[in-house]
Amino acid sequence: MSATQSMNQSSKPASGAEPNANPYRKLIAPTFIWLALLTVPIWFSWLGGYNLLATRALTLGLAAMGLNLLLGTSGALSFGQAAFFGLGGYAAGETLMHLAPSTPIAIVMGILVGGLAAAILGPIAVRLRGIYFSMITIAFGQAFYFIVVNWNSFTGGEDGLLGFNRQPIDLGNFALKLDSVQYYYLVLLCFAVVAGLIALLLRSPLGHAFIAVRENERRLEFLGVGARNLLWIAFILSGMIGGLAGALYALLNNFISPAALHWTLSGDFVMMCVLGGMRSFWGPLLGATVYVLAENFLSSYTNNWMSALGVMFILIVLFFPKGLLGMLRTRVKS
Amino acid sequence: MADKKTPGSTGEGNEGRSAFSRRDFLKAGAVLAASQALTLGSRNAYAASDAVRIGVLNPSTGTYAELGRNQTRGAEMAAAEVNAHGGVLGRKLELIVTDTGSKTGLAVSKAHQLVKQHGVHFMQGTVSSAVSEAIEQASREMGVLFVDSGGHATPVTGTHCSWSTFRVCTTTYMLAAGIAETLMNKYGKRWYFLTPNYAFGLTEQAAFERILKAHGGTVLGSALAPLGTTDFSSYLIQAQAAKPDCLIILQAGDDLVHALTQVNQFGLQKKFGVAGGMMELEVLQALPAAARVGDWSFEWWWNQPNVPEVKPFVEHYRQRNGGKYPTARSWFGYVATHAIAQAANEAKSLDSVKVSRAMAGMTLPASVGLSPAKLQFRADDHQLMAGIFAGEVKSGGQYPDLFNVLKYEPGASITQSAAEKGCHMTYPS
Repeated sequence: MSATQSMNQSSKPASGAEPNANPYRKLIAPTFIWLALLTVPIWFSWLGGYNLLATRALTLGLAAMGLNLLLGTSGALSFGQAAFFGLGGYAAGETLMHLAPSTPIAIVMGILVGGLAAAILGPIAVRLRGIYFSMITIAFGQAFYFIVVNWNSFTGGEDGLLGFNRQPIDLGNFALKLDSVQYYYLVLLCFAVVAGLIALLLRSPLGHAFIAVRENERRLEFLGVGARNLLWIAFILSGMIGGLAGALYALLNNFISPAALHWTLSGDFVMMCVLGGMRSFWGPLLGATVYVLAENFLSSYTNNWMSALGVMFILIVLFFPKGLLGMLRTRVKS
Repeated sequence: MADKKTPGSTGEGNEGRSAFSRRDFLKAGAVLAASQALTLGSRNAYAASDAVRIGVLNPSTGTYAELGRNQTRGAEMAAAEVNAHGGVLGRKLELIVTDTGSKTGLAVSKAHQLVKQHGVHFMQGTVSSAVSEAIEQASREMGVLFVDSGGHATPVTGTHCSWSTFRVCTTTYMLAAGIAETLMNKYGKRWYFLTPNYAFGLTEQAAFERILKAHGGTVLGSALAPLGTTDFSSYLIQAQAAKPDCLIILQAGDDLVHALTQVNQFGLQKKFGVAGGMMELEVLQALPAAARVGDWSFEWWWNQPNVPEVKPFVEHYRQRNGGKYPTARSWFGYVATHAIAQAANEAKSLDSVKVSRAMAGMTLPASVGLSPAKLQFRADDHQLMAGIFAGEVKSGGQYPDLFNVLKYEPGASITQSAAEKGCHMTYPS
C-alpha cells in the first residue's frame, strides 16, 4: 500500500491529493525557483551575497541532489558521496593540467571518473543494507582519501592540487571567458540539465522502481525485479552527479584538496539532504543553500556556528523529518 | 505509516507534492526580508564607514585555531597602533576578521566575501600552507593585495609567486638552514628524519638533506607520517633502530606535541640528539615539562635583550591580552598589518598594484621588525627576509622562559635566491 502511495507523491502530478487544484498551480513553484536561480547575480549581491557563494551553494546542492537519488529516492544511506565528489574534482584538475586545457573536457572527465568509480564499487556496496551499506561507503571514501593524500607526486598530497585554471570556452568564433558571472551560469546550466534528467527519471519506470526499492525491497524481489541492480544503477547515477559537482567545485576555486574527499564532507551532504528534505525534489538544494549561508555568515559572528546548525539539525530530525520543505508544506496544509 | 516520524523511513502519507500557495509566497517573502535585514545591515555598516579595511583570514576553529588566534591578536594590536598614529592616508584602519577553519574551499569563499561584500582593500592571514596558496591565487584573480602571515610552503614566494602576494614568515628552506649547522656541530652528521607527509614537511626535509650532504653528512632514513598522526611509536622504533646522531622532527602544531611527548616516553632524548625546524611557543607551552627537549628554530622570540624595541612591544601585548606573551604568530600578524599600512602610506594610494610596488623592497622600522637585523621585503619574490633564532629548549624552564637563543641567523644569509626558488615576478601593466 505504502509503495504505491509514495510513488504517487513523488512522481505523479499532485492532482490525486488535491482534487480541486488548478492544473497550473503546480507550475508556480518550479517557475518561481527557476526565475530566482536565473536572476541570482542581480538580487543576491543586493542581499549581501556574491556570485562565488551562490555558485558554491549550487555546486554542493548538485552533489546533494545526486546523493538524494540513493538517500531519499532509493532509501540507501550513503556516506560516500564525497569520494565521487572529490574524484571528480581531481579528475577535472588533472585533465586541465595534463590532458587538455579545456573546461568542457574537464567537466566530462569529472563525470566519467565519478561514474566509473561508482560503477566499480557499486556491486560490492549494494550487497549490503542499512548500517552496513553506510559503513562500506565510508570505507570507500576513506580509501580514496588516503590514496590522494599519499600520492604526493600526482595529487599534491595533503596540500591539494594547484596550478590549473578554468579555461575560456571556445564557441566557434569567440571564446567565452568564465568570470564569476559566466561561471555561475555554466554551473546553473549543468544543474538545470541534471535537475531535468532527475525529474524525468523520477517519472519513468526506473524512477518508480528506485522508490519501490526504498518502500519494499522484498516485495520487489518477489515480483522478479533485482533490487541490487537497481541500487547499482542509482549508485552509478549518484556517482556521476557527484563527479560532475566535484569537477564544477574544483573549477570554481581553481583548487582541489583532499578535504573534498573526506567522509566528513559526505556527512555534510547527508545533512544537507535531511535539512532541506530528502523526500522533496528541491530539498537537497535548499539544504545546501542553508548550509552554505550558515557556514559563511554565522561563522563571521561566532566560532560556534556548527552548534547552531547542529541544534537546527536535531530539531528538524526530531520534529520535522521531512526537512525544511516538508515543514513548510505541512504548515500550509494544516 | 506507523513510523511516520522517523527520517528515512517508509511512506510519507497521502500528502502529495503540494502546489505553491499564497502562504508559501508570504513565507518566502518573510525569509527574504529577514535575510536582507541581517546581511544588508552589516553591509551598510561597512560601506558607510570611510575606513581603510584589511580582511584577516585566520582560522579560529580547527587544528590551527590557537596559531590563527595569535596572528589575529598581533594584527589587532598593530591596527590600534596605526590608528593612534594617524591611520592610513588619514583614514581609520579597520580589520575585518573572519574564520577560515583552515578549510581551503571555505577560505576562498571568505576571501571573495571580504572583497565583494565587505569591500576590503587588502587581505592578510592564513596558517595552513594549502590555504595560503589558494588565497594567493584568489588574490591575483581579484587584484587585491594579500600578505601571507603564517603559511610556510616555499612555492608561495617561489614557483607560484605573484605580484599581489607578500609573505612575512620564513620559507621551509630558511627554517632548515637556520639551524642545520648548529646541529651538525653539536651532535654529528648522521641524521634520521620524522617528517609530516605534506609540502611543508617534505620541502623542509629536502632542505635539511641538501645542507647535510653539502657538509658530507649521511641521511640514515626517514619516516613519513600523515598529518594528524597521534601515535608515533612505530616511527620512533624505526628511528631508534637506525641509531642516528640526531633525530630531526619536522612536525608542527599538535602533531609536534604528540611526537615529542612520545619521544620523552621512549627516553630517546637520552640516546641521541632531538631537534627540528620550526618550534613555536604555543607548542612548548602545550608540552609536559619532561617532554620539552631539543634544538629548534624560532622565527621570533619575545626575549631579545639587545633589541630595545622588543620590551615595550611585549609589555603592550601582555596588557592587551591578559598577560599572555607574544609568540612568533603574534608577531607575524603584527608585521603584516603594519607593513600594509606603511606601504599604503608610502604609495599614497589604496590601489593594490601601487601598494604592492611600494611594499616590494620596503624596509620595516625597528619598532615593527623587532629583530636584531633590519628586515626588508625582497623585491624579487616578495619574501620578508626575517631571520631565525636557533637555540635549545631550557631544561626546567617556566612559561614563557622556555628557550635559550644561541644564535641569530639573519634572513639574507640563509635564503635561496628568487631564481633558485623558481619565482619570476611580473606586475600587471
